[in-house]
Amino acid sequence: MKTLSVMAAIGIAASISLGAASAQEETSASTLYGDMQHVTQDMLDRAAGDGNNFLHTNHNYEQTRYYPATQINTENVKNLRPAWIFQTEVVDTMETSPIVVNGVMYVTTAFNHVYALNARTGEQIWHHKHAMGPVTTYCCGPNNRGVAVSGGKVFMGTLDAKLVALDAKTGKQLWETQIAEAELGYSETMAPSVVENMVLIGTNGGEYGIRGFVKAFDTETGELIWTFHTVPENSVGVWATHDATGRDMLRDIDAEKAALEKMGDPYETLGGGVWQNPAVDLETRRIYFVVGNPSPDLDGSLRPGDNLYTDSLVAVDLDTGEYVCHFQYIAHDVWDLDAVSPPIITAVKDNEGNDRKGILHAGKTGHVYIHDAEDCSMLRFSEAMVPQENMWVLPTADGARMLPGANGGVEWSPMAIDPNHRLTYAINLHQPMTYTVRSTPYPEGKLWLGGSFDVIPDEEQWGNVTAVNYDTGKIAWKVRTQQPMIGGVLATAGGLLFSGEGNGLFKAYDSSNGSELWRFQAGAGVNAPPSSYTVEGEQYIVVAAGGNAQLNFKRGNNIIAFTLAD
Amino acid sequence: MKFLLSVLALSFAAIPALAMDNFVLEDEIALCMTCHGEAGVPVDPEYPVISGQEYFYIYTQLRDYAAGRRDNEIMSPIAAEYDRDQAKLLAEHIAAQPWPAIPAETKDGDPQLAQKGITGGQCSACHGKWQGDSRIPRLAGQQVDYLKKTMLDFKNEARMNAPDKISTMKQLDDETIDALSRYLATLDAH
Repeated sequence: MKTLSVMAAIGIAASISLGAASAQEETSASTLYGDMQHVTQDMLDRAAGDGNNFLHTNHNYEQTRYYPATQINTENVKNLRPAWIFQTEVVDTMETSPIVVNGVMYVTTAFNHVYALNARTGEQIWHHKHAMGPVTTYCCGPNNRGVAVSGGKVFMGTLDAKLVALDAKTGKQLWETQIAEAELGYSETMAPSVVENMVLIGTNGGEYGIRGFVKAFDTETGELIWTFHTVPENSVGVWATHDATGRDMLRDIDAEKAALEKMGDPYETLGGGVWQNPAVDLETRRIYFVVGNPSPDLDGSLRPGDNLYTDSLVAVDLDTGEYVCHFQYIAHDVWDLDAVSPPIITAVKDNEGNDRKGILHAGKTGHVYIHDAEDCSMLRFSEAMVPQENMWVLPTADGARMLPGANGGVEWSPMAIDPNHRLTYAINLHQPMTYTVRSTPYPEGKLWLGGSFDVIPDEEQWGNVTAVNYDTGKIAWKVRTQQPMIGGVLATAGGLLFSGEGNGLFKAYDSSNGSELWRFQAGAGVNAPPSSYTVEGEQYIVVAAGGNAQLNFKRGNNIIAFTLAD
Repeated sequence: MKFLLSVLALSFAAIPALAMDNFVLEDEIALCMTCHGEAGVPVDPEYPVISGQEYFYIYTQLRDYAAGRRDNEIMSPIAAEYDRDQAKLLAEHIAAQPWPAIPAETKDGDPQLAQKGITGGQCSACHGKWQGDSRIPRLAGQQVDYLKKTMLDFKNEARMNAPDKISTMKQLDDETIDALSRYLATLDAH
């Protein structure tokens, strides 16, 4: 039997002061394979040090995607082999983060199927197919990014804008609640998060003239506990003329003020979806999340003002949903270069060189933004990870070329960090596009972009995996990939970084320098975040290979778990 | 199927007149099929296949015709007669019918040119694998001439009820639209 070590995690826990709930070794009987007992709040709290399970979408409440097990490491990753492959019945876009509880894995597919699998063998335990209503809405594929687990329940958001709770042992539905009205453009693709008695979830719909939110529901009953509207009734802001990096956004403030006078505050249809899980700080009882684009995406003439809190990092009180602080990256965005990759809580150096609690977010702009968790203010931003050209040229009727294209930079793909290296890892797209504006009133629940962003088909597209030192903002290393990158990464205490590509390749890199150490051809796009877990002394890496609708990467239906060859 | 139609189907013959005077579903369906085809194959190449099309898409189009958001000299006055419930009943019935197989062929180079257009317009982001879902219409196996007419109508601003399609279609030249029409028409149902 190979020896499991999580000692690295202990060292990391000692080096960052994020409160008692942070990374600690967690190998007690309660997290060992086979007992099938409920997921306790204590397990969720201490997930960062848990080298057996994978309990959160991004592994822990801080969302570090840093897995503490070291059995698979830089020395032996060359021996990584498929342990099993599970094929779902849905051959379509996959963005699921596999969740693993005591040897049971929960994965989701397009159109809201959920599977419980034996994490050691890949055998199906149960399959739940959501009874989808007649109205679904999505801009970017019928995706689902996974489940949340707590107690004996599994929670999932659905394309028809519902939140469902399933029995973790049987897959039977326990309750469902309508989060918002699907016919108006609301839908769910993100995985929920659970904290104590609350299920937290945002909403899709930023391309449909919705009013975004994060809501908390009771885990036992599905009843609404609180709502935070991501767009306040006064969405005007401070008439910011420059973006977070200091570049002029070429706004016509006088014209916007005249429009505001004429049409009033546009908050009711201003968008502001929340695509990804919040980072949870149990010490301060705050959650941090990022808010997506204003609606319509490209047409600013119908939405004067800064369009708060779109394109922003936002913190709210965990217990009440009350506003705490925000930082807006792009006021009055007309490029859809919004904020979608989930934020990470970790210790960062402030400008005096002292450690303090920070928030990391990777933007579609191609920058990693580093914030002070106390007041959301920005400490620094990274070097650009992708080419930036012609920023911020305004969209025109004939189409204006600007880089990055509207998919980024960094899309919804979660980052991972390695606190030992003080690095955060992001995957990027390079997709040259033109931005075209065409003003139209809200077309009754239909896609409302206010124009189009069109890929320039003759220009080369590619991607990269980039490591950024979050204490300095400097790029430590960067590896180019054949295609634009979407899906996510996983870092491990074994010194590895895992990420997949649209061409079917799934790769392991040395997280210290970007050297490629291993690759596997999955046969369909690997465009989902990897997870890791340990069962009966064997560490596994698992990832979905289902392709991607948004970038039209080859579809598949595989969940592939890897472990070391004997 | 994404929702239950069996109750409607079982009680089809017995459905009484609804809110609108003289509305009898069977008669209205017969009227639809005058143009859209008894077996789902339209009588004109420029008419769309609607049998087996997505329920919510059909319903939305009927409402758009009725409200003047989409204009057609045949469909606009017909749709204006239906209230919401009647439009939903029609859409439910039509969506439950089988999609017909209509022969179509591509020409050399069509798939490549079509893919170029699909990449440029990011079409798959909404249309996925072209099978349709809810408010997204099925395009796979649709009539070539209807697909071409629709894309050109958007491009030329003759069809206005999905305004973002106008910007997208203006990026495509006519040769690409031709190729895309043939390519989509040859795709099978999944």
